Amino acid sequence: MNKKKGWLSLLLAAVFLVSGCSQGNNESAASSSGSGNEGTSSVTDNGSNDGSTLAPAKLKIVLYGDESNRMKELAKTEFYDVIKKEINAEVEFQFLPWTEYGGGKTDLMLSTGEDFATYTDANYMVKSVAKGLYADLTPYASTAADLSKNVDEASFKAFQLEGKQYAIPVGNKPNSAEFYSALVRQDLLEEAGMTQVTSLKELEQFYDKVHAIHPELIGYANTDARRILQYDYTDKNLYWQNDFIALDESVKDDKIISWFETEEFKSYANLMRGWYEKGIIPKYAATNVPQLQSDWNSGKAMFWAGTAARPFEGAATISQAVPEAKLVNYFLGSGRPKISRGTYSTAFFVSTAAKDPERYVMFFNLLQKNQELYDLFAYGIKGTDYTLDENGRLTRINTDSLIPDWLLMNKNFIRFDNTVPDEFIAEYKAWDDGAIISKGAGFNFDNTPVKNEETKLNGVFTEYLAPIGSGFSDYDTAFPKALDRLKAAGIDKYIAEYQKQFSEWYAKQQ
Amino acid sequence: MMQEATPETQGRLIPGIRTARAKSFRKSLRKDSTLYLLALPGIVILILFAYLPMSGLILVFKNYNFNDGIFGSPWAGFSNFEFFFSSMEDSLRATRNTVMLNVLYMLTGTFCSVAIAITLNELRSKWFIKITQSVMFFPYFISWIIIGAILFSLLDYDKGIMNQLLQTLGFSQVDWYSSPWLFVIILVLANIWKSAGYGAIIYYAVLQGIDTSYYEAAKIDGASRWQIITKITVPMLIPSIILMTLLGIGGMLKGDLSMIMGVTFLNPLLLPTTDIIDVYVYRTAIRSGEFGFASAITLYQSVFGFILVLVANKLAGWYDKDSKLF
Amino acid sequence: MQTTENKGLLIFFYFCITVFSAICLVPFILAVSGSLSTEARIAAEGYSFWPRGFTFETYEFLFGSKAQQILRAYSMSVIVTMLGTVSAVLVTTAYAYVISVKSFRLKNFFAFFAYFTMLFSGGTLPWYILCTKYYHLDDTLLGLFLPYVLSVFLMFLMANYFRSIPHEIVESAQIDGAGHLRIFFSIMIPLGRVGLVTISLFYALQFWNDFYLPLMLVTDQNLYTIQYLMYNMMANIQFLASGNAAQVGGAIIAPPLETAKMAMTCLTVLPIAILYPFLQRFFVKGIIVGSVKG
Repeated sequence: MNKKKGWLSLLLAAVFLVSGCSQGNNESAASSSGSGNEGTSSVTDNGSNDGSTLAPAKLKIVLYGDESNRMKELAKTEFYDVIKKEINAEVEFQFLPWTEYGGGKTDLMLSTGEDFATYTDANYMVKSVAKGLYADLTPYASTAADLSKNVDEASFKAFQLEGKQYAIPVGNKPNSAEFYSALVRQDLLEEAGMTQVTSLKELEQFYDKVHAIHPELIGYANTDARRILQYDYTDKNLYWQNDFIALDESVKDDKIISWFETEEFKSYANLMRGWYEKGIIPKYAATNVPQLQSDWNSGKAMFWAGTAARPFEGAATISQAVPEAKLVNYFLGSGRPKISRGTYSTAFFVSTAAKDPERYVMFFNLLQKNQELYDLFAYGIKGTDYTLDENGRLTRINTDSLIPDWLLMNKNFIRFDNTVPDEFIAEYKAWDDGAIISKGAGFNFDNTPVKNEETKLNGVFTEYLAPIGSGFSDYDTAFPKALDRLKAAGIDKYIAEYQKQFSEWYAKQQ
Repeated sequence: MMQEATPETQGRLIPGIRTARAKSFRKSLRKDSTLYLLALPGIVILILFAYLPMSGLILVFKNYNFNDGIFGSPWAGFSNFEFFFSSMEDSLRATRNTVMLNVLYMLTGTFCSVAIAITLNELRSKWFIKITQSVMFFPYFISWIIIGAILFSLLDYDKGIMNQLLQTLGFSQVDWYSSPWLFVIILVLANIWKSAGYGAIIYYAVLQGIDTSYYEAAKIDGASRWQIITKITVPMLIPSIILMTLLGIGGMLKGDLSMIMGVTFLNPLLLPTTDIIDVYVYRTAIRSGEFGFASAITLYQSVFGFILVLVANKLAGWYDKDSKLF
Repeated sequence: MQTTENKGLLIFFYFCITVFSAICLVPFILAVSGSLSTEARIAAEGYSFWPRGFTFETYEFLFGSKAQQILRAYSMSVIVTMLGTVSAVLVTTAYAYVISVKSFRLKNFFAFFAYFTMLFSGGTLPWYILCTKYYHLDDTLLGLFLPYVLSVFLMFLMANYFRSIPHEIVESAQIDGAGHLRIFFSIMIPLGRVGLVTISLFYALQFWNDFYLPLMLVTDQNLYTIQYLMYNMMANIQFLASGNAAQVGGAIIAPPLETAKMAMTCLTVLPIAILYPFLQRFFVKGIIVGSVKG
């Protein structure tokens, strides 16, 4: 009996010993979590490319997605060497699943004071800054001098809160009028004997004709067409701040519009109801939204919401199922300038606990510094990972994704592959000509005073207003109840608060 | 609560303990010390991974910010609960839906699991039992997303197999995805399908532990198969059924978000019955990024479940004191 | 004693179980066939019992250059499952025995102490802080199973199995002067072996299926388990398929979303589904050997 007891205690001791041993491993990250040591790195010498004058630093960059084998190799070799040479920093890349973007483990890492940087969007930024999770990068913005040349100013503004820069935008791509055009399957359009679409009537005609030939195809592969259809139901030039609030960009004032309470919403909802009843939006769309996407991808839909890049981005996907597929963007009206939010693709923030935020900013700068570095980070090593033909067109030898190129995408540096026709490229590069920056660009709403209202409104939106807006429920029968719910959830208070903050901000901009 | 519960239950056990004490106090202490030692690893695990993290419950009453840390952040009182309880209509509906679905799951799930276990117990072919047992486990592995995709191909209005079947039989099509009450049945069936096999294995294991002499005696007395089932097998399972029910009741207000998301795709037309608390919190608080709100409602679910368990445990104690959970 | 009524009942039982098993098997067949179909045809025609356009494309896409990583993840999963199951069964049965001892004064307290954690949890943040900053479980093998070695649900199940062992056997052992350790090892474990096999299986499945611990605690790719690897790939495929990240330069590969879901189900479930009957036998043997030694 005593013997057995001895064995048991030995076993227990062993368990604790094992757990004890694992304690020695990760001390480095835990040692500092203070936030007041901003000024300690004594680097002021900008302009200089020589990293050797800088004290060595360690940076951790979190990226979302799958780490490819090639990325793993390059992170240890060429990337490492180049970054070391340029800014004397050792960069470690850590990959997280996409589910952890803007929350999840990213939030946990921020809350436990880890020293890292990754990308964000305006919503997540506002929430995180309120919790004190992002470092203020204002003092270091000048360090990103090369990047500033290649990224527009409106993009910087979009990531400012009360005049402070909390994230550094990356990317520069034509992205005005996002989802305002109908991206039409030109091959089907021509099959139906039409050449172009310039109005809602023609779009519906297109559906009817193609439906007669191919009854198995669905019409519109999405549930939201308020932007595409605005040329029909309103004379304003609407731009949405969120699900509830729109701005009219055709007038220069600070008035916000409570979208669901407008006559425009009513007309829009009725148009969508017509689409739903007609089958342009399939019946299953009320349930299975992902199916719409895969129908589009497999060439089973006639049109989609367009962006500048979608004609060639999307074509590549669809052409796997339908090789002859061709995509063209059409606006259902003209005379209204395209609206842009700024041309960034995303923006990098630095965690509050970072020891050397300035060095992080220097790293972001490298991402958009010049063609040479852009090629390296996005495509790899010339000859090994890709080749260029005499026109500068790209052929990738290795298709492993490196630092994701949607993130870096900058029209000053981007390289197209052989399959993209010249006229597409010309059209793409000229897309933003004549576009205006939204008058709300750079305004970030502080929801603290109306947190409860906003949360409840989201519930009302998902249950009552989204189905009306997509035509699944009839406006006349369903809207009165939905409006009651909106009022009960505090839409008036929410709109008033938004208006107040927006007017204050707007006055300051003038 | 703990202090209240223990002396009372102790009281009932006193006769047994007292005789042991009378025999030899020191011996019993030594005996118990072995028990403490056996429980020690479990206690350590519970403290490390459950009790110490519970300090985080304080966050529910705080406005967390990084610079002040968990304990230094300003108090928020009950304001994190406000969004939920200030829209009574929604919160009541969510609570009702959660309880309704859970009660249905529990009743049908237990019934099916027990029925399968009893049936398996009657079969004699060893290889048949083995194969079916592992097959019944399969659904447990399959994620709700995939189950949802398969259900969709059954129930889709235009192309779904069910509607095609109905049409060939001369009935009219059914719009499954806009019939909230019809969908309750679908959810219940999906739940049975996914978890009945898992539950059956638990009960089947209990039946295998039963001394075969009971059955032999009954057979000699000329009892029929059906009589043996109702008179011996079912009563043998009662304590386990009570245990499983008690364990389930604590989660009465908790729902499976991934199930509703996978099976209904959060279709707004189905929300009248499928808007359980977890779904409501998901489409309000989590959609708005207010995670403090979300954890507040988790606490509401726990407290409510805790009260239910205390009551249920008492009831179970009146029925049979050995079947109490604690 | 076989009457016709009994025989009829028996046939009815066989029939019921066969039907139910068949229904359980359906999605699995759909998954296998789906994983071997082409994405375009699945999107267009839906699932079927026989692959639509038989192809290994999806598996080639998933494995791609990652064959080595997947193999490593499989072996990691096997290690974690074995270590986790053995330690969990030890911790759980010991605790379950304690709360099932009829004469133990504090059994209700211990039962409550465990049950309380089933209801209340402090959320992820404090758990994460403790695990990484204080227990230093991040990027360790231990971190992949230690937090889960006591499932309170399974502990109560085990206690229930222990309680169903006739009390007279325990009493007679006590009269013979056996202590708790001896009763535990030489009576409870052998007699409760059906229960033990059951909870061992449940634990094995739990550890095999888990992707949360690696998600939270692991950054070192050498410690990825197969479930986490799949979770990671799936999240990425979903992002790519959503059209947010289409590449402008270079080759674009449209990820096979539907078939990939199916293939991942097969890759994670198949090994354990095939091994299940063998595992059962293995556990039974292991427990018998263990109890003889004890």
